[in-house]
Amino acid sequence: MAAPSVRPSVRPSVHQRGEPPLRNPDVTDADLVRQSLDGDGDAFGVLVDRYGLAARRVARAVLGPGDDADDAVQDGMIAAWRALERFDAARSFRPWLMRIVANASLDMLRRRKVRRAVAVPETVVSGGIPPDRAAEGSLVRDRLKGALMELPERQRVAVVLFDAEGYSHAEIAGILGVPEGTVRSYVFHARRALRVALSDFKEGE
Amino acid sequence: MTEFMSFDSEQDKELGARLQAMLDAGDNELFLARMRDAVRQAPRETPWDVLTRWAPAGLVAAVAAALLFWFTLGPTAGPDPATQLMASAPARMEIAPNQPEADVLVTSVLEGR
Repeated sequence: MAAPSVRPSVRPSVHQRGEPPLRNPDVTDADLVRQSLDGDGDAFGVLVDRYGLAARRVARAVLGPGDDADDAVQDGMIAAWRALERFDAARSFRPWLMRIVANASLDMLRRRKVRRAVAVPETVVSGGIPPDRAAEGSLVRDRLKGALMELPERQRVAVVLFDAEGYSHAEIAGILGVPEGTVRSYVFHARRALRVALSDFKEGE
Repeated sequence: MTEFMSFDSEQDKELGARLQAMLDAGDNELFLARMRDAVRQAPRETPWDVLTRWAPAGLVAAVAAALLFWFTLGPTAGPDPATQLMASAPARMEIAPNQPEADVLVTSVLEGR
């Protein structure tokens, strides 16, 4: 009797097929989601590589620098992986993932506010820009960081997604669960505050 | 930085680049490796997990619906038993084999027996 053929239970992973694992434009998000649903954990890893850093920037915009932001991204990534069956393949993966990560970040911020009676961003606690810091690039970053962290968290998310990550108003509206006009207002007010914070440096340019 | 009108629809690439630079942590490869590992070790959600997650909420909703049903429809579903008994008392006395006296009948109706 012939020995039964042994077939792998899952398709060969993206890595095994010899394709570049990171940000390969030939492999669409939809393909990677399908492969992930077939049990290919490496395919979801490619999605993590594609959107992990953007997700981290959004989390850091909400929570500030530190471990909380990374933990929120991890929570969001795991939640997305676990709930992948419920993802509507007809829609775009990127805003779906970002919505999960943004919600994880906002949830963590709420928990942190409960833990601490008053949540004050580290940048504000530090009392602004240290006078002995000479490098203007560092000053600009500090000023920008301070101004960003003083904004309401949804304005932070909106301006980072719009200007830094290139999301549309409609996509951000879906991510935050608010009307598109509200997102436009968030971006407008956030930009105005950030421009005021950076105006000193702009004049010197 | 790009000058913008109110509710501008265009991306401000200069501000975006500054925000990206400010929010980037620097240890990107390490971070991505950590995320990949975390996902690899996480089990996929099963239908049972979904059911378990929604079970408490479903139970609360069921209890709330039952209470609502009871308070809105329960007491008015039928006439009060005492009222029903009083209403039917004269009729029962009328059809009883031994007819009561008229004053007994009137008294029992008036006294609500």
